[in-house]
Amino acid sequence: MDRRAFLGAAATVGGATMLGAVLAACGAPGGASGTASIDTWDWWVSQSPWLDHELKQFEHANGNIQVRRTVNATSSYDKLFTLAQRSNSGPDVFMISTTTVPLNEQVEKGWLLPLNQWATSSWRRRFPPYSFIEGGNMFGGKVYSAPLTRPSPWLQLYINNKVFRDAGLTNADGSVKVPRTWDDVTRSAEVITRKGNGNTYGLGFGNGSFPILPWWVEVFVRPAGSPGGSSGPDMRSGKYTFGSDRNYLDFAQLLLSWNRKGYFFPTSVSISDEIARAYFERGKFGMTVGGVWNQAEWTQHGFTDYTLTTLVGPRETRGGYFYTQPGGTVLAISSRTKHPEQAWAWFDWFYGVNSGKSWVQEYNEDLSIYSQNNDPHKIRFKPFAEYVALQNMAIPGPGASIRNPAQAYVVVNPVQPDFGTILTGVFTGQIKEKDVLAAFMDLDARLQASLDQGVKQAQQQGHKVSLDDYVFPDWDITKPYHWNIPQYP
Amino acid sequence: MEASSDLPPREAGGFAGSPRKGRPAAARRSRASVWHRVRSNRWSYVYLAPFLALVVVFTIYPLFASLGYTLYQWNGVGDPTQYVGLQNFARIVRDSIFWQAFGHTLVYTVVLVPVQLALALTLALVLNDRRLRFSTFYRAVYFIPAVTSAAIVGVVFQLMLSNFGDSFSQVLVRLHLVQHRIDWLGDPHAVLWIVIAIGIWNTLGYNLVYFLAGLQTIPAELYEAARIDGAGAAGRFRHVTVPGLREVGLIILFLAVLGSLQVFDLVQVLTGGGPYYASEVVNTYIYHQAFGAGSFGGGGGAAAQPNVGFASAASFFYGLLLLVITGLQALAWGWMGRRRTRAVG
Repeated sequence: MDRRAFLGAAATVGGATMLGAVLAACGAPGGASGTASIDTWDWWVSQSPWLDHELKQFEHANGNIQVRRTVNATSSYDKLFTLAQRSNSGPDVFMISTTTVPLNEQVEKGWLLPLNQWATSSWRRRFPPYSFIEGGNMFGGKVYSAPLTRPSPWLQLYINNKVFRDAGLTNADGSVKVPRTWDDVTRSAEVITRKGNGNTYGLGFGNGSFPILPWWVEVFVRPAGSPGGSSGPDMRSGKYTFGSDRNYLDFAQLLLSWNRKGYFFPTSVSISDEIARAYFERGKFGMTVGGVWNQAEWTQHGFTDYTLTTLVGPRETRGGYFYTQPGGTVLAISSRTKHPEQAWAWFDWFYGVNSGKSWVQEYNEDLSIYSQNNDPHKIRFKPFAEYVALQNMAIPGPGASIRNPAQAYVVVNPVQPDFGTILTGVFTGQIKEKDVLAAFMDLDARLQASLDQGVKQAQQQGHKVSLDDYVFPDWDITKPYHWNIPQYP
Repeated sequence: MEASSDLPPREAGGFAGSPRKGRPAAARRSRASVWHRVRSNRWSYVYLAPFLALVVVFTIYPLFASLGYTLYQWNGVGDPTQYVGLQNFARIVRDSIFWQAFGHTLVYTVVLVPVQLALALTLALVLNDRRLRFSTFYRAVYFIPAVTSAAIVGVVFQLMLSNFGDSFSQVLVRLHLVQHRIDWLGDPHAVLWIVIAIGIWNTLGYNLVYFLAGLQTIPAELYEAARIDGAGAAGRFRHVTVPGLREVGLIILFLAVLGSLQVFDLVQVLTGGGPYYASEVVNTYIYHQAFGAGSFGGGGGAAAQPNVGFASAASFFYGLLLLVITGLQALAWGWMGRRRTRAVG
């Protein structure tokens, strides 16, 4: 081959290669021709089997859409999401996190895509009444998210049946004796610990990753008639009542007495919640407090021999419940997405009735926002059916932002140490028993000051908010509260 | 003798006739001299440039950039708007948790530094002995923890002592060494000491290597002479080794103190400062303020919402405290140096 022929051949090959590259670059974005790829971020681990199943079904039904899912660590999700937004990047669809930036502020910053062109009035009516609320998942009349689950008694007391049976804590019919009161729990824990001989304990938890004792307050103090639970305030007075409501001190003393008597698994303070769940599964302790998300993991491990209850108070008659609010948020679509139609398609699938059915009845994740999916009789797995049967332990309660949507502008800064941290200090003995009440009263004062400050700042910014928005003096905490807002805004 | 361009400018100027005419000429020569030196050492500057760039971007710039944030309450997103003046500093000064964390940091430093340096020196003396076989192997063994990231060390010890520590504790119970199983990282009386012990083990290797390097600069003839003069092992250590290590020892001490006052990753991963601040050190305190919750050990830093402004103020305030401590260290060394000079004189 002479030099001219060689150069000609090289130019032809090079040109063909370039043309190919240019043609490829001009093809459809996101990979294969005609296929759009969207990114979605969440932090769900226990719920992954359901989510992955739905993604697979969605991609199968929508051959031209590919969804790339990124599961983030729960503890770092908020930071990652916020940093992504700051750098103008991030996923097309994401799970909403409001730890750093409240949702109304995220909307004002333009991070979320308004969904009204798809989330029409008829689409919204697919959901039960009070699913959408201004200041919750709607801002300025525009929809930004939607609820996935029906509000539920989100924490339960779990009982390891084998541990109870081994300790002889059974009824005449062989079923385990489920504790109904604080005294029942004390008696059961005493028997298990005594018979466990240093190998099995009555109670256990995992405080290592984050303070988890507030969960115990939710289950044990609410039914005593303390509607503020672990976060407060008591909406009858609009005040924080950790120090003034005797139930909190009583429970703290009960917790201390359980600890002193050695009923708790010894490393409960430092092990993580995940490890505590594994230890419960292995029968190292008989009772723990957790959420329904535990069940999926235990089922994966083949552990199903447990029972659950919730709202275990000093008396069998419950004097308080879990309180629900209208609205709800899980997913949102990024305003920067290049594929809004495809992102909405996944969003709509995620919130579909059929997805909700599989969420409850097939994967036993939680309650569905669609009541027709929440029939306990349609659920084969007994512990999950027990959970679904408890759905009435969560009843509507009042809320300042329901009364006044401008409350979304009130930012209440956290206080340090918070309730969970103080409970840890009480449990470890760093806060002496005689000082517990003073610590609770000090917490009330700091929380109240923070709330006052938040309201004051919102007022200074021109928002018509008041501390009176938090006061519902006629509220009967044992009955569902009637929200005075439109069912479908 | 002619003035050389290597001479310092003032001396060079001094040789250049009248001061009025000499100054510009001296300045020109000085500039030429600096440029000449830069050119002749250009590769040194090229090698230094990446490090310098990193220091500017990640240390110098943030230091000054964060100064403005100290005057705001700010969650780190968008521009800071909520001006609070010096309130952040006032809160830090009054915050008992900050001072508790500062106390823990001091305890960590005061215990870790002498113990670790004593151990490192002892091991260095042993490993420096030419008669010791496999000394290279032992040096590698002692240095391995130092090249392991503190975060990894924290994770592994967390698993050993806490999450999978149940069996470890049970062994101790069976051996009747303890009566009950111990929650090593959940016990507020034990947790800081465990962190210190792990800290000593983790960074021992660095000081060991520094001491070994220092020992190898001491001429063998000095030991030989001391031996001939009848000095025993203790005498040789006191009169040859200690004076020979004085200069490098001061640097090692300085670095060890500063490094200990900056402890962060080990504590954050191992305990998160908990339980109930029992192992909180200043840097974890700052981190929790800046980035919010997510602490191990049951509530080190419990701030659920980040406050970058407050964290910047805490960081700046701690920087000032470190400056004071470092200044006191320098004064103490100066005083000791003068005392030694007087004693020798």
